[in-house]
Amino acid sequence: MSSAAATRTWEAVPRKRLIGARWRNPIGLVGAGIVGLCVLTALFGPFLWTLDPNAPDYDRLQGPSWAHPMGTDDLGRDTLARVIHGAQVSLQVGAVAISIALFAGTLIGLLAGFRGGTVDLLLMRLVDVMFAFPGLVLAIVIAGLLGANRRNAMIAIGIIIVPAFARVVRAAVLEVMGFPFIESARALGAGSIRIMLRHLLPNIVAPLIVLTTVYFSTAILSEATLSFLGLGTQPPEAAWGNMLSTARSYIDQSVWMSIFPGAAIMLVVLGFNFLGDGLRDVLDPRVGDVAVKK
Amino acid sequence: MIATLIAVSIVIFLFVRLLPGNIIDIMFGGDATATPEAKAAAAHQLGLDGSYLSQYWRWVSGIFEGDMGHSLLNSRPISEMLATALPITMELIVLGLLIATLIGIPLGVISAVRRNSASDYASRVGGLIGISIPNFWLATLLLLFFSRVFGWVPPLSYVSFFDDPVKNLEEFFMPAIAISVFTLAIVMRMVRATMLEVLNLDYVRTARAKGVPRRHVLRKHALRNALIPVVTVVGFEVGVLIGGAAVVEIIFGLPGVGYTLLNAIFNRDYPVIQTATLLIATVFVVVNMVVDLIYGVLDPRISVT
Repeated sequence: MSSAAATRTWEAVPRKRLIGARWRNPIGLVGAGIVGLCVLTALFGPFLWTLDPNAPDYDRLQGPSWAHPMGTDDLGRDTLARVIHGAQVSLQVGAVAISIALFAGTLIGLLAGFRGGTVDLLLMRLVDVMFAFPGLVLAIVIAGLLGANRRNAMIAIGIIIVPAFARVVRAAVLEVMGFPFIESARALGAGSIRIMLRHLLPNIVAPLIVLTTVYFSTAILSEATLSFLGLGTQPPEAAWGNMLSTARSYIDQSVWMSIFPGAAIMLVVLGFNFLGDGLRDVLDPRVGDVAVKK
Repeated sequence: MIATLIAVSIVIFLFVRLLPGNIIDIMFGGDATATPEAKAAAAHQLGLDGSYLSQYWRWVSGIFEGDMGHSLLNSRPISEMLATALPITMELIVLGLLIATLIGIPLGVISAVRRNSASDYASRVGGLIGISIPNFWLATLLLLFFSRVFGWVPPLSYVSFFDDPVKNLEEFFMPAIAISVFTLAIVMRMVRATMLEVLNLDYVRTARAKGVPRRHVLRKHALRNALIPVVTVVGFEVGVLIGGAAVVEIIFGLPGVGYTLLNAIFNRDYPVIQTATLLIATVFVVVNMVVDLIYGVLDPRISVT
């Protein structure tokens, strides 16, 4: 999925780069704006738009109006309030799923790359097996068998993202292991844990940041899909996916029910993808190109 | 590959069994009148009696003998269910791949050749939109668009391509478009990136310097080599398409493998879940192996072990 900036090399000090960054790619800034807007909506939306997302207080299946900018649904609930609640759900699922993947994937990748040998072989076989399932199918099966609710959807989505993190972290670790400073650290008597945490981890932060951003979009899309299929957040609680699923039955009466939640999903996923693209430009994660060649 | 498939089958097998709660108890749903005999019979029918080793062996050897067991829901043989479902999913995936490559590759080339032009910018943003739009929403929008603008809805009962190709394609083109958009965008981005890389290489410049026409250089020298990495993406994308197919099959009422799997999940039809998941993983693993082989042929520097 690498696009622009094939020629950029990655440097070991990402923080400076990130802040004083030369964002030559305006797409990244647009993405940051969209993501920021979504986070603000999730945090402060309910205070600004105080209608109850679950109260069937209004006329059913209305189109957009000043009172209900996104209309109302089949039960007469305010769609804007439900979309705002959906933003909270999406971000929560995304954050938890990514945390699972980040933790487990980094652990697997670090151990495999650092230990090598049998540990590496076994862990990578495990990753291969996970890659043998199409991601979404695996999520559907795991979420379905564990039981259809939001917690299990978060676990399922986290699991399907683990192998991607594990592979990238391992590759990055192997690259960093080739640098002399690892050898000198060892010569100075640093233990395995210390080397992994103090020397390897900080040097693979750049690819991890990009992965996290890009897979956040995957997580949100997967959550929406699971909820749409009835395997994620359960009605009456609002999530963008299950709102779209209900809207399908009423599409002849009100298209608006189908338009807004879908547009919300697309916008947020787009935001994370834009941001990921921009970040990739700034800190090209292809550790393979590290200074070695320079 | 064989090793991977064996590992995959063990993972599926264990996952279905290590779930919290006893499957038999869940099936009987706290029905206090269920006798231990009934439970034992159900366990036997499910292949859940005996040690794990013998259960696993029965399942796997059964598959090789063409006996995949029966659905709990309607006692249909699973082999028969999957045999009718597989062609539908396969057709969706093939159509999706065709759409994605036939449109994605030219767009990627144009984008790379006219770098930083308006059309490059448009296709890059379009590509990002393509990987962001939820396929089930796109499917809904397509249905809406065609019914509102043309007053046309696709036929809702499945017809095989071999019985009536026209009706079959009428039914399949919308779901195929819906699942292909993500892959189309990925292919486009990939072609663009590799084309840009290849166009900067010495041999392309040499060819141009020798007076080979631009079109010829693009098609024969650059594109040929730029397409090699695309082949690997296609392997991965088949997985995305399988997942997408599962979702749009529900929307369009196409009884494919994903549809079968989801129904099985909602009905807790464990034998079907187990075998359908294995089938999907097998298809995916085999496709990726074929892709690796093709990759080896296209790029002799890569040796396939």
